[in-house]
Amino acid sequence: MNDLNLIRDIERYLEGDMNMQEKAAFEKLCESDPVVNEQVKAHQHITAQLESYGRRLALQEKMDHIHASLDMDMLRDAATPAPARVISFRRRLLTNVAAAACIALVTSLSTIALIQKANRQKTTAQYEDVRRVLNNIQRSQNALINDINNKKRVPANPGTYGGTGFAITDNGYVVTNYHVVAGADSIYIQNTKGEAYKATSVFEDISSDLAILKITDSTFRSQPIPYSVKFQKALRGEKVFTLGYPRDEIVYGEGYISAQTGFNGDSAAYQVSIPVNPGNSGAPLMDAKGDVVGIVTGKQTTADGIAFAVKSAQLKRLLEEMPKEKMGGKWNHKNRLENLTRVEQIKKLEDFVYMVKVYN
Amino acid sequence: MKHNLNIERDRELLLGLTRNDDKALSTIYVENFPAVLRMVLQHKGSEDDAKDLFQEAMIILYEKAQTSEFDLYSKLKTYLYAICRHLWLKKLQSGSWQLSLPEELEEVLPADNHMEDHDKKDEQFRIMEQSMGSMGEPCKTILEDYYIRKLSMADIAEKFGYTNAENAKNQKYKCLMRLKKLFFDKYKL
Repeated sequence: MNDLNLIRDIERYLEGDMNMQEKAAFEKLCESDPVVNEQVKAHQHITAQLESYGRRLALQEKMDHIHASLDMDMLRDAATPAPARVISFRRRLLTNVAAAACIALVTSLSTIALIQKANRQKTTAQYEDVRRVLNNIQRSQNALINDINNKKRVPANPGTYGGTGFAITDNGYVVTNYHVVAGADSIYIQNTKGEAYKATSVFEDISSDLAILKITDSTFRSQPIPYSVKFQKALRGEKVFTLGYPRDEIVYGEGYISAQTGFNGDSAAYQVSIPVNPGNSGAPLMDAKGDVVGIVTGKQTTADGIAFAVKSAQLKRLLEEMPKEKMGGKWNHKNRLENLTRVEQIKKLEDFVYMVKVYN
Repeated sequence: MKHNLNIERDRELLLGLTRNDDKALSTIYVENFPAVLRMVLQHKGSEDDAKDLFQEAMIILYEKAQTSEFDLYSKLKTYLYAICRHLWLKKLQSGSWQLSLPEELEEVLPADNHMEDHDKKDEQFRIMEQSMGSMGEPCKTILEDYYIRKLSMADIAEKFGYTNAENAKNQKYKCLMRLKKLFFDKYKL
């Protein structure tokens, strides 16, 4: 029972239940007896231990309660995004790669397209039609009609484009380049004397760049043609000459056949070394005898002295393709220029070489 | 500034925890558990591992918070996460299953000095748990009622059917003596 009394005293002392005398006596006892002192410390320790034990149990219980109220399914999903993240990363990568591929594809395609376009432009830039731009002012068709009604002769307007043409029959059929008359509203042809006649295009061929015009004016009087068209190939080095209208007056030019093919290996044309200027389009190319061997069409812009002329064989093909009823006139097969000097040849020829004026 | 505000909030939560405020406890628990769960799951632990780990960390925090010298100088989240990481590392090292340590866990752990304290406290808790476990009734409940639930001796006497408080007190002293014996057998001061 001694121990029990001691423990009671210790507790009373610690909880402050003792009165002053008791407390003083107990403190004295503690000081004198180390065993009692130790017992006090042990008591303190165990009660503190008990308290913290209780607190911890309570805390654990509360936490278990909180834990039970957690939405574990949701937390689990949120805590294990690892596989999902990999997938989404791959998906994002795929999207990026796809976008990059699309950009690369578009870039390369557009580059190819641009290069091709540039090449084409380069090619066309090298070739130039030699029709002449007569007037930059565009006149309306109405104005033209008024003009015609008023004067019945040459329109005062010099025309929009100009080229050269030459007679192939004695009844008013004239050959020129297709590009001269392309898109024309009306066509006039004018001879060296300044007489102008209205003409219409009756047959056109884009591939050979040739057009056949018919003079429709009733005032036109036919004349026998002094030259013929030679359908055989002209040979390299053969002397040729031409008459055309690079300006308002007829101009003579002389040169030679330099190659049997035209621009970019075009087998329907010759390469000719001859002075050619805008306005020469459709001019006859004649050999030394005065026979037509070709029709001047264009020149190469990148080099000097390189002109091109459609072979006369193309003209023959064109005439054969043309509906027969359209061609009423006589086809001249007899050359009457052969033994004349060049000056005399030109004198006779120039009446049959016309300036072609085009209005559009 | 934002950082400081967050710490201010954490300090208040911690204060609530010391005062046994259930709401503060719940807030801390709900806000910080997911990060620990993620860490444990990432290192091939189970959900129960995460729960045990986190609750142990919470107990450390709680007990630390009871002592007056504890001052929170980092965010609660950081503190709890560091402790959990440390505990998990220890578990991996001491466990029968020797896993290769995840690289990020091999860093020096900031909460190291807290842990020694905790180990001592944990040991005492286990001994107390055992001792209380081996106490029979009504001793166990009387001790709990008086020292933990802080009931008065009169209430305890009534609850257990003692004729007066003095009898109950004597019973309580006997119980306490037995507990002392059991406890100090295993734990030396």
